[in-house]
Amino acid sequence: MTGVVLAFLGAALAVILAGLGSAIGVGLVGECAAGVITEDPDKFGQTLLLQALPGTQGIYGLLTGFLIMQKVGIIGGALVDLTLHQGFYILMAALPITVVGYLSAICQGKAAAAGVGLIAKRPEELGKAIVYAVMVETYAVLALLASIMLLFGIVI
Amino acid sequence: MPIVDMQKISLFAHQQEKDQIVNILQDLGSVELVDLKESRDWEEMQALLRPEEATEETARLETSLGEIRYCLDFLQRHFPLRKSFVEQFTGSKISISMEEYADFVARGEEARNVFEVCREVDTGLTNLRNEETRCHNLLAGLLPWADFSLPLEEVKDTPRLKMQLLAVPVDRLKDLQENLAEYTPEHHLEVVSAGRELANFFCIYFSKDEMRVRDLWKETGVTEVHFPGMTGTITQSIEKLEGKIEGIQRERENLRQKVVGLLARRTHLMAYHDHLKGLLAQKKAIGNLARTDAAFLLEGWVPEPLVADLKKMLSEKTETALLIVRDPEPDEDAPVLLENNRVTDAYEVVTRMYSTPRRHEPDPTPLMAPFFFVFFGMCLSDAGYGVILSLLAYFLTRKMKLKGMGKQLIKLLFLGGISAFLAGILMGSWFGDLINIRPLWFNPLDDPMRMLIVSCILGGVHIFTGMGVQAYQNIRGGKILDAVFDQGLWYLFLIGLVMLFLPQWSSPGKWMAIAGAVGLVLTQGRSQEGIFKKFSSGLVSLYDVTGFLSDVLSYSRLLALGLATGVIASAINTMAGLLGGGVVGTIVVIFILLVGHSFNLAINTLGAYVHTSRLQYIEFFGKFFEGGGRPFRPFSKTTKFVEIGEREA
Repeated sequence: MTGVVLAFLGAALAVILAGLGSAIGVGLVGECAAGVITEDPDKFGQTLLLQALPGTQGIYGLLTGFLIMQKVGIIGGALVDLTLHQGFYILMAALPITVVGYLSAICQGKAAAAGVGLIAKRPEELGKAIVYAVMVETYAVLALLASIMLLFGIVI
Repeated sequence: MPIVDMQKISLFAHQQEKDQIVNILQDLGSVELVDLKESRDWEEMQALLRPEEATEETARLETSLGEIRYCLDFLQRHFPLRKSFVEQFTGSKISISMEEYADFVARGEEARNVFEVCREVDTGLTNLRNEETRCHNLLAGLLPWADFSLPLEEVKDTPRLKMQLLAVPVDRLKDLQENLAEYTPEHHLEVVSAGRELANFFCIYFSKDEMRVRDLWKETGVTEVHFPGMTGTITQSIEKLEGKIEGIQRERENLRQKVVGLLARRTHLMAYHDHLKGLLAQKKAIGNLARTDAAFLLEGWVPEPLVADLKKMLSEKTETALLIVRDPEPDEDAPVLLENNRVTDAYEVVTRMYSTPRRHEPDPTPLMAPFFFVFFGMCLSDAGYGVILSLLAYFLTRKMKLKGMGKQLIKLLFLGGISAFLAGILMGSWFGDLINIRPLWFNPLDDPMRMLIVSCILGGVHIFTGMGVQAYQNIRGGKILDAVFDQGLWYLFLIGLVMLFLPQWSSPGKWMAIAGAVGLVLTQGRSQEGIFKKFSSGLVSLYDVTGFLSDVLSYSRLLALGLATGVIASAINTMAGLLGGGVVGTIVVIFILLVGHSFNLAINTLGAYVHTSRLQYIEFFGKFFEGGGRPFRPFSKTTKFVEIGEREA
């Protein structure tokens, strides 16, 4: 059963770290957005959109966690007996989204917070503010992709 | 014809018809006025022209506009009009009919009265607030003394006695009482109340002891308490103050009622505000004119299809106007107006968020539209979500009269929903795995590699299309060699490379790649001086192949986002499936499904929109599109608050 422990660790890390990163990122944008709202409450919708952007990493982390849970049979089945090797495979597969998710969410939060400053002055440029933040998200998406492909590749 | 041809117009007319003509142009809303002071001929013209007219009228308009804004702000402060979440993106205007609008404008002077009332109420409210604060402060000072029954006018010194109201820090009260008994045994000390910090007490002592007692006061930190100008008992004073505060609240309510009475006028104010703004825009437009004593000249841009309308209007409604229309000169800075058909115009919003095309550039919107449609669908990739998104978009357009970008955006989401529906059918995803329908094609969860390859192939087609547009532009601009060297050779090289990996094509692929590479090395340095520099920059240009590789891999996000939608949806279903059984269980399950899928739909629609836009901006537009054109901004009646309907028949 030793492998299962490692698989749990992988799932936990993916959810914890990617989620933490998103929480920090979303928080950063929220602070900026609240400042803008004191001046113009009608910008709530636009700023909320920007605030949502760094939130996706947490979801990617959760998604990876779910895939691992499915793999080891916590959801929809009985717990599978994993060897140590298999456990390590799963732990490693969780690493890309764990690390990249955490850091990219914070960086994306900063870019989105700057975007909030942009739309405070020029609300018509919301599209560009979003694009800057999305440039960061690319790498989280790539990391998620790597994690998913690795997970799908593991034979149990 | 995605970009509309612009015509430059020059309009001469007699001074007397100036206001009339400016009015016509504003109503027509199809002319962008040019500031003559910035035109090339200005220096020659300047000598002939009269200086600006006095702007007294403008100042008067601005004052009125300021007053109305003050009123609207005031009303907004007390009875805010809240915008709904959707309206924050699309803006909200109040619809009024043409007749109402005309009536409002005719009774414009009444705005002045509203302003007077608003200011009066505003000052009144400020005074009341100050008065109320003062009363509350007094009251806070009096309340601790409420149990003190002696009328205040009787607390005064007699020849032999001293009477005082005093306060001391609570923790020193005991000390004080002991010391006082020592200093002057003949005294009367009555503690009225003890709060958390201060104890309040009343004290009588003999005048002869005053010096010593005052020293004691100083030592123990006792302060004297005075109520200047008050008579009667404390309780009476408190009652009086409370009565006063009640009065203030009543008065405030009265004033608020007055404001409520004004609320009915808000629409009127808004309409008049927009009317004045229109007038002000006219005055500003007149500033752009060149004029002599008897005539004036106006220059502007008109979209070619609308020139006929303008001519007709001018000849019908004016007598002296002379309109000269000509094509723009090649180097002139003509504004750009995009025109797309009923389907592709939804995607204009994507182009415009990036940049308006330059005058001689093609509009990328129609080319980009099919890719955007497909990519959006692949990112959302769920038939159930697609149906819901389309329905939502449809109801929004029904419920709200949207215009411009807002309308385009909703339409884009509507089309995106259809695309997601199709993708969901192909990939067998209905709210994740909630409804099990076999995929028409294949489910990416079963074979992600296959989907990755599909994504990258679509990406390759997208990128090659972008390069094709650049080649077309080069050829049209007469730079055929550029098209052959910069795009043709890259096509050859890249296609060859791809064929290398396919067993049955690998040998022709090899030669194509080699030919392409050699060609690139020989030609990419052609702008450099000297044979060595030409060769080395040709060689370095091969490094760009990594750029193409990363561009193509960037499309893997289509797979990742598609999977994310499906897996999260399935996770929601699984969570809901863990519960169940009984009435309560069923309700909880339905609740989880509703909330979970709504959240997933929202977050993935956002993701699909932003990532698809990014693929257009970076990977596609980057290949050929420069942008930086000036959007066409016609001189027209722009309203901020109201929307004027058509005249009722």
